[in-house]
Amino acid sequence: MGVHLLVALAATLTVSTAPTPAPSAQPVAGGTVAIRAGSVHAVAGGRIIENGIVLVRDGKIVAVGADVVVPPGARVVDYGPDAVLTPGLVAADSNYGAPRPDERTADPFLRAADNFDPYDSYVFALEAGVTTAYLAPARNRLVAGVGAVVKLAGDTDAEARMLRDPAAIHGSIGLDARSAPGYWRPPVPATADVGLGVVKPELPRSLAGAVVAFRELFALAQGSKAAPAADEYGDGVGEELRRLMGERVPWRITADSAPEIRALLELFGKNGQPFVVDGANDAADVADELAAAGASVILDAPIAPNRPGQDRGKDEDTRWPRYDAAVKLAAVGVRFAIAPPRTGSASDLRLAAQLMSRGGLDPEIGLRAITLSAAEILGVADHVGSLAPGKDADLAVFTGHPLSGGAVMATWVGGELAFDADDLASAGAYPEARESAPAHTTNLVIQVDELHLGDGNVLSPGEVLVIGGKIRAVGRSVGRPGGARVVHGAAAMPGMIDALGHLGLEGSQKIPATRFDMTRLVEPGDRVDRRVAKAGVTTVVLSPRGPSRTGAPMMAYKPAGEDLDAMIVDSPCALRFTWTDRNRRESGAALVDRLRKAADYAKKWAEYQAKLATWTPPKTEADAEAKDGEKGDDAEVKEGEKEGDGEAKEADKKDDEKKDKKKKKGEEEPAKPITGAWESKLTLPPFQEARVRLYVLDEDGAVSGSLRCASLADGLIQVTGKRDGHKVELSGEGSRGLVQLSGETKDGKLKAKLTVAGTSASADFEQTATEYEVAKPSEQRRPKDVKKPEIKGEPKAPGIDPELEPLRRAMDGEAAIVVEVNREDEILACVDAFEAVGIRPVLYGAEEAWKVVDKIEGRVAGVLLLHDIVRASPETGALKRNRYAELSAAGIPIAFHSDAEEGAIDVPLMATYAVSQGLGAEAALRALTSGAAHMLAISDRVGTIAPGMDADILLLDGSPLSPSSSVVRVWVAGREVR
Amino acid sequence: MTTTMTRATYAATYAMTLCAAFLHFAPNASASDGRLAIRVGRIITNNGPDIENGTIYIEGGRIQSVGTDAGRWDAEVIDHPELVAFPGWVEAHSIRGMDRPNENIEVAPFLDVRDSIDPINFYFEDCLRQGVLAINVQQGSFCAIGGQGRVVKPFGLTIEDMTLRPSSGIKVVATRPGRSRALQVQALRRAFRDLRDHLEKLVVDKKDGKDSARREELFQGRDPDKEENKKGRPMEGDAPWKVKNFETVPRGEVDEKQSPLLRLVEGKMMAFVACDGAVSVVQALEIARENGFLANTVLVVEGDAWKAADRIAEAGVPVVLAPQLLYTERDPMTGKEIETFVPGVFREKKVRFALQSLNPSAQSLWFQAATCVGYGIPRDEAIAAATKVPADILRLGERLGTIEKGKDGNILLLSGDPLAVTTSVEYVVLDGNLVYDRSKDVRVQQVLEGLEQPNAAPAGADEASDVDPHGGSTKEGDTKSKTDKKKD
Repeated sequence: MGVHLLVALAATLTVSTAPTPAPSAQPVAGGTVAIRAGSVHAVAGGRIIENGIVLVRDGKIVAVGADVVVPPGARVVDYGPDAVLTPGLVAADSNYGAPRPDERTADPFLRAADNFDPYDSYVFALEAGVTTAYLAPARNRLVAGVGAVVKLAGDTDAEARMLRDPAAIHGSIGLDARSAPGYWRPPVPATADVGLGVVKPELPRSLAGAVVAFRELFALAQGSKAAPAADEYGDGVGEELRRLMGERVPWRITADSAPEIRALLELFGKNGQPFVVDGANDAADVADELAAAGASVILDAPIAPNRPGQDRGKDEDTRWPRYDAAVKLAAVGVRFAIAPPRTGSASDLRLAAQLMSRGGLDPEIGLRAITLSAAEILGVADHVGSLAPGKDADLAVFTGHPLSGGAVMATWVGGELAFDADDLASAGAYPEARESAPAHTTNLVIQVDELHLGDGNVLSPGEVLVIGGKIRAVGRSVGRPGGARVVHGAAAMPGMIDALGHLGLEGSQKIPATRFDMTRLVEPGDRVDRRVAKAGVTTVVLSPRGPSRTGAPMMAYKPAGEDLDAMIVDSPCALRFTWTDRNRRESGAALVDRLRKAADYAKKWAEYQAKLATWTPPKTEADAEAKDGEKGDDAEVKEGEKEGDGEAKEADKKDDEKKDKKKKKGEEEPAKPITGAWESKLTLPPFQEARVRLYVLDEDGAVSGSLRCASLADGLIQVTGKRDGHKVELSGEGSRGLVQLSGETKDGKLKAKLTVAGTSASADFEQTATEYEVAKPSEQRRPKDVKKPEIKGEPKAPGIDPELEPLRRAMDGEAAIVVEVNREDEILACVDAFEAVGIRPVLYGAEEAWKVVDKIEGRVAGVLLLHDIVRASPETGALKRNRYAELSAAGIPIAFHSDAEEGAIDVPLMATYAVSQGLGAEAALRALTSGAAHMLAISDRVGTIAPGMDADILLLDGSPLSPSSSVVRVWVAGREVR
Repeated sequence: MTTTMTRATYAATYAMTLCAAFLHFAPNASASDGRLAIRVGRIITNNGPDIENGTIYIEGGRIQSVGTDAGRWDAEVIDHPELVAFPGWVEAHSIRGMDRPNENIEVAPFLDVRDSIDPINFYFEDCLRQGVLAINVQQGSFCAIGGQGRVVKPFGLTIEDMTLRPSSGIKVVATRPGRSRALQVQALRRAFRDLRDHLEKLVVDKKDGKDSARREELFQGRDPDKEENKKGRPMEGDAPWKVKNFETVPRGEVDEKQSPLLRLVEGKMMAFVACDGAVSVVQALEIARENGFLANTVLVVEGDAWKAADRIAEAGVPVVLAPQLLYTERDPMTGKEIETFVPGVFREKKVRFALQSLNPSAQSLWFQAATCVGYGIPRDEAIAAATKVPADILRLGERLGTIEKGKDGNILLLSGDPLAVTTSVEYVVLDGNLVYDRSKDVRVQQVLEGLEQPNAAPAGADEASDVDPHGGSTKEGDTKSKTDKKKD
């Protein structure tokens, strides 16, 4: 691990672990950490402590237990009730020593410790919970070198990280070691007298030869007379082996097949040297012999992860991989460790242990094989391998049992956090997600017994993987990428949708114009909004409190969205009309007229797009058109508002003139647009001093936006007005009457007088932002080519009419039209009229829709019934009619809506009630989620649990269809709503 | 020729030398004891304040005075009030300028880079052009112990002419590409173990009365009766291991393959230890300590070696930095890039550091020093890192690095500030001889003015020859054109 990372970790931890241990006389409480988890596997003695605490001081474990007294001042890290805390895993083999053999067949001089780089980062091992690793010096030699055991995080001083060196005389009796290439070293100088020499073949080539070679090496080490010439194995090999054997360094010899293992048992049974059988793929066949010899075994999982398939040979006696060794060895009581695969990395340790558990190995024995047993066999059990007082505080925290798929949450080495999954999730794991997701979004796996996808399907059990605020995968079992938190629960479902609500209107009765940008109404971070989301309603389709002639805009938004982008699902997502007129003869006339206009408008666009598609631009010089392009832009904007065309031009000219004049004067600074946010304090009797927030968009002097001040109105005041040079005039309707603002900008400040109901007060506004984000056009329908410079012959874009545009989108199925219509005949007329322009409307009210279900089925997007779900009528007697159930059964999509602000939280209850009164529970769930989303054309982002959708998910403590279930946790765009 | 140099003879030498600059003719022998006064607008002495409108007087290849004294009346005068005088840059470690360097024999302390330095290598010409006037050439970057290096001047017909300091140090390589660190460290340990075994065997053989070492001495061509060869001395130096009774062995009987390593262990030879990272530094220092040559060690560092700057500071050894002064790595957790300015780290840890050029023509020493200034290292320290410090590291601090009395007469005449990109080396005076004149530098002219190569075909040659536009002229075509010409 790099120095910088350690420093960063140390800084974030505020654990003052001094390099030298603090004097014990003065224990520093700040250096004490209490780590808590739902279950603590001490491994030693097979202890599993529920709700245990591991107390760590100065990098050592002080106490382990459920009733540990946490000293005052100690830092407590709680990983929650689901977390499983184990000792840091011990990789009994690894390639971190970059094992490469030397030429000679026996080379005890090669030290793996020399290859250890304490300046390197072992983040991938730490990420897998591995904190200690054995370094193989080399492979494929009779005596490949001397192994070492190191810690994978901590000091950059190699010696401080070295747990044991020499840890083993590492070698092999296997096939790999019996094919060492020849040895040749040219003489210096080579002359006519001194030849270049020849390549000397290196032995052994057979198993018997290997046994002989080992005997010779032992003899060489003992300096006995039977020893071969010293230069047979190289200078000083005997002395070095003698030195190592004098220190009782164990021999760790790779032997895979049964004959190889037997040969080893015989060799070392005779000379009494400590030894470890490494690899031992066929150990199951010789388990009893191993037990009788009291041998220790390090099992190597025969897998090669991250690689193509391996051909192992087709002969009878070719050894194919087996995974049965661990179970057999455990049965006969042989001490064994499980090592990561030789061809893989230390981070594959848990996978190896899981594979080797085949045949029914007890998970606790499996865990022991990658912790304590490994530490014992490597000779480092006095430091690591189990959780016991006095041992090093090397811990791994998992979301579940490490051998049954739990992901690593954190890894601690020497009492310091060496890996934290949260850092990984927020920092580097998924760069593409990092860009789109709000900061600190955790990768999340929600694992439930019942996963209701929202479209009627249920996965049981089911899992959802959330990355970067989006649903990445859904299934019975999904991946657990690094850093993913796993949440368990009984059931989960998509966030619910209030199909027509008013949350955010703040009591406003105003019905805005079609072109009004609803996004101006909402601001992220509202407390009430969050409470609504917490109740399970994660999307609200905000509608004004009534329809309008040209269509009142509706916006789908998420009340708990963290920022405006995450908040707005679509705006406008629908237009709200009414069919019925007071004069019934006029019913629908205005709407039909509008639909005709919309059809014409859509036709123009369709023609334009068709022309554009066939038109090929002539090749002309680009620079000549730059100016034309600007003109083209202007023209196109004005075409949208044909009436004001001439005036606008004149106004523009005047503006220009004014600008010119000012420039000529050269005294005053030019007036700037006042777009952005302005804040001030205002004291307006009889109210107390209150904050005023003005949030406006200034488009060449035409100013519009909102004003918020408790003294002036209860909610937002929509203001419009103009700016003439430095002079600003704004007015709007507040709940206490007409609010007028007149003022002047000077030096970046706005001095203004605010008048409401005859009283006035002055306020000095300071600009807090220069952007008016909410005013961004919600949907740019202009084809991209429009912005390009005008080219002769290029088809002219018809211009965007903001009033007709949503209708055009509705024709494409991208937006919805909500029409209030009740009577049977009117419903039919309405559906006919919309069908003529290719729109399937959402009927609102629809009192008599049940009478014509067969006629409107498939021709409407859905029906929003009023809230009297059941109706009793004299005609039906005791039988109550559930209109929701009837329509739903007839195949007409329904949805629930609140027609209220924070009353949106009642929407789930409406559904529950409807179910209790005979609506199918599945249909109700669909109506709350995907039904509403489809109906209102927002199903591309919300309404179902499916890959690519926004991660708006509810976790319940029971089936969503049961009235007794409640929403336990809520995530909106992958972030939990708290 | 021992006559005093008159203006006429100077002019002749001058012209001759200039022509020779690129053909490497030896300068006129008379120049070695010539007298030269260099009068310039500014002298950057690199050892105190600059001198405006000063004169440097060189006699016998050494600087006699710096200041206003014009020296003897009969001295030749180079008068360039528009130029700036500057001591030459010093390259503390270079792997260039060789014909066939040893990169094969793993442990070769007995090899001398003298045998592979190539005086007519373009590298030396480029050094002159860039103002690098002393270069420590070291071979064997891919060995364990690569051989002895040599400090040379970039001018001279023979290696002896060029040599400033023979056997400047032994190259020790702590890590080399394509080989595991453990194997390399093992090879180094083995080399010193072999030395120790050899010396111990000598002592035993001497005790046993065997004379094979003496016979080998004769065979290798040393004179056993020579006083220095005859005498035995106890082993010197700081090595924790000592060979007992080594004084019984006459020094001449030490095998010539091992004796340079013995000199290293006894502290009489420098070691230039190449380290490609922090771990290598730690291991190199350990090996140096184990074998007693820490005091005469210079680390040639690369990569993240700066992370071990504390260890280097603690060991008190100087470093020669890799040409790449910025170290870029990624945070292992977040993947974010982190840049470290390496000289800054060493400066902060108070480690003496010298700079190294990237190659003969790009990122030369002046550029490296300028880069250091750009990253906030004080100007004098940045310049020192390419002049005084490397001179000291090479044990040539008495002769190089500054313009002051008694030092070698090596002067660069620059068109401006030594660290400015627009500055060029106009003249180079080496040991009191003018050896480079930019206005006569044909290759520079070719680059700047697009001149023809001197030995290229004349401009009109193509017209006559029958060249195939697609693939050069065929032999038949050639003969044809020849015959055509004959007819003409």
